[in-house]
Amino acid sequence: MVDKSGRRSFIKGLGAAGITALAMPVMAQTNTESAANIKWDKTADVVIIGSGFAALAASIKAKQLGATDVEIFEKMPYFGGNSAINGGLFAAPNTPLQAKEGVKDSIDTMVADQLKSGRGIADEPLLRHIASHAAEALQMTIDAGAEYHPYLQQLGGHSVARTYQTTVSCGAGITQPLLKYSQKLGVKTNNRAKFIGFVQDDNGKVIGVKLLTGHHFEDPNSGKVTYVKANKGVLMATGGFAQNIKLRMAQDPTLTNEVGCTNIPGTTGEAMLEMFRLGATPVHLAHIQSGPWASPDEGGFGYVSNYSIFNFPHSIAVNLQTGRRFMNEIADRKTRADAELRCRDEAGKPQPPIMITSYEDAMEHPTCKKVLKYKVGWKFDSIADIAKHYGIPAAELQKQVDEYNQYVRTGEDKQFGKAMAMAHGKELRAPFTVVRLWPKVHYCQGGVQINTNAEVVDSLTGQPIPGLYAAGEVAGGIHGVSRLGSCSIPECLVMGMTAANTLMNA
Amino acid sequence: MNKLTLVLAIMLSGSLAFSAQARDQRDYHEMVYDSGCKTCHDQGIKNMPSDQACSQCHDIDELAVTTARQGDEEWQNPHNNLHYGKEVPCTECHGEHTPKQVLCSNCHTFEYPKHK
Ligand SMILES: Cc1cc2nc3c(=O)[nH]c(=O)nc-3n(C[C@H](O)[C@H](O)[C@H](O)COP(=O)(O)OP(=O)(O)OC[C@H]3O[C@@H](n4cnc5c(N)ncnc54)[C@H](O)[C@@H]3O)c2cc1C
Repeated sequence: MVDKSGRRSFIKGLGAAGITALAMPVMAQTNTESAANIKWDKTADVVIIGSGFAALAASIKAKQLGATDVEIFEKMPYFGGNSAINGGLFAAPNTPLQAKEGVKDSIDTMVADQLKSGRGIADEPLLRHIASHAAEALQMTIDAGAEYHPYLQQLGGHSVARTYQTTVSCGAGITQPLLKYSQKLGVKTNNRAKFIGFVQDDNGKVIGVKLLTGHHFEDPNSGKVTYVKANKGVLMATGGFAQNIKLRMAQDPTLTNEVGCTNIPGTTGEAMLEMFRLGATPVHLAHIQSGPWASPDEGGFGYVSNYSIFNFPHSIAVNLQTGRRFMNEIADRKTRADAELRCRDEAGKPQPPIMITSYEDAMEHPTCKKVLKYKVGWKFDSIADIAKHYGIPAAELQKQVDEYNQYVRTGEDKQFGKAMAMAHGKELRAPFTVVRLWPKVHYCQGGVQINTNAEVVDSLTGQPIPGLYAAGEVAGGIHGVSRLGSCSIPECLVMGMTAANTLMNA
Repeated sequence: MNKLTLVLAIMLSGSLAFSAQARDQRDYHEMVYDSGCKTCHDQGIKNMPSDQACSQCHDIDELAVTTARQGDEEWQNPHNNLHYGKEVPCTECHGEHTPKQVLCSNCHTFEYPKHK
């Protein structure tokens, strides 16, 4: 299990700095090294790899629990990972806003919603642990300076409105305050520091990491080999692998490089793979989620994603061929992404469907202005204009709108059984806004198996790997087949805090 | 195998140097070129400059004022943006020897007509 290939002495022999890093590609074996012949460059209490929600929450908690040196190592030139570009949507049960809006909710209800979307293979103890501490995590972000819209949203697959959103409609509204707070508490944050392997002691305990410092992402092997000792433990908070096309296609060959992706470039998964080499249990790697609210008219998550998420409850999604709806606009993500992928022209080529929203309702959310301004969404005066512009059968489209407005009035969607509570009083009426929809690879449900202490479970023994912890998207199996929107933020924050707790009490 | 890697490494660094020469230098940096490559390449000529190199002459706070935007574009200030504040290393958007796209263009269609 432990590599003693003597590569280090080779590196030493080479001497000249700068060339060392280029020697990396020859490595094929595990990158794990034994402690015996290591010269540590640095020592810390807690070593955290990654700088998103999970990492930041853990660093703050570790400091609060009295850790002296906490070091964050991030391979990218900037901090925050996917968390810094995320939609800022945060689900939690039993919150102050739910009390204010009179929403009846419970930990059980949130877990039940998630289990349903998980289609029987989600991890109930973990979901329960997270839901139980979600409101606490929310408060932690508010204490650090995060600000939220004064209303809740009801996202696809959630049976009630329980989702907060930052006022900037972005996860940066959380990562920026957390990063500053973390640095204020004395956490040392290092960018351009790529994790490439573990160091174990003779008993198999993880006691440190091997990094490439001064790393430039464009050149995967760049940087200086640096060894950091971790007195209390190593937390892997390295996110998903949606940008690793080879790896995602190995799991799901349909996710080719032609499928867009919402993630930062750094979600390439090598840290997860290194944990597997160490013995971590792989779970649900093939369950890779595509976001049904994304737009083919902009890169990544862009503006349309948040726009659609907000508007889906009181909008219709329409197939251009038929002029008809083709899905429950607030079904879970997988249901919707699969339905969108079936929207094709006569030749079978992708034909992105459109979402139609009343302009007045869309303007309730700040992203509407952005969508129009940056020409990734358009305003129309009538249904006839929309039909003409997109080549939709006009009579069919008008009929569909009339039928749907009937569902709004009666509160019952006879076509797809959509929950109509949030659409109450919001009939489709001119003028309209329209965006185009096409799924993008978004989230990895799979990763390393962890328990409710955020310990990484060994695949052979079923026991925690000593000294090793994981939290956030890199942990797998929690959500099962399809994660519900806004459930990653609570997961990352709660499990980050949990990891710090376990690690500081180990 | 090790020897081969070394040869590859040397070839690779050679080609890097070549590409640097091949590109038109940005003329407003002419005086920097006059003072020698090391002015920016503070970690060895064949390595990328450190993230601090540009701040010998440029001040992020001043840049943030220069490129400030108003109203709903407040957070599209490239030198003080929504996602990363003032902490994006310069070379993520600016390339001295190879032209670069702004980082935001990964997801957004913002226009920065003066970007170089
Ligand atoms: C565009 C977008 C919008 C989203 N919106 C929402 C939302 O509104 N609500 C919600 O609940 N969820 C949302 N999600 C999902 C959620 O944001 C992510 O699951 C979450 O941010 C993951 O956090 P994390 O801390 O696990 O990892 P990340 O935030 O991704 O951070 C991981 C970090 O680790 C670094 N890293 C990786 N490998 C290494 C290595 N070898 N060495 C050093 N560093 C490494 C990466 O560069 C990255 O910075 C969204 C995701 C995306 C992409």
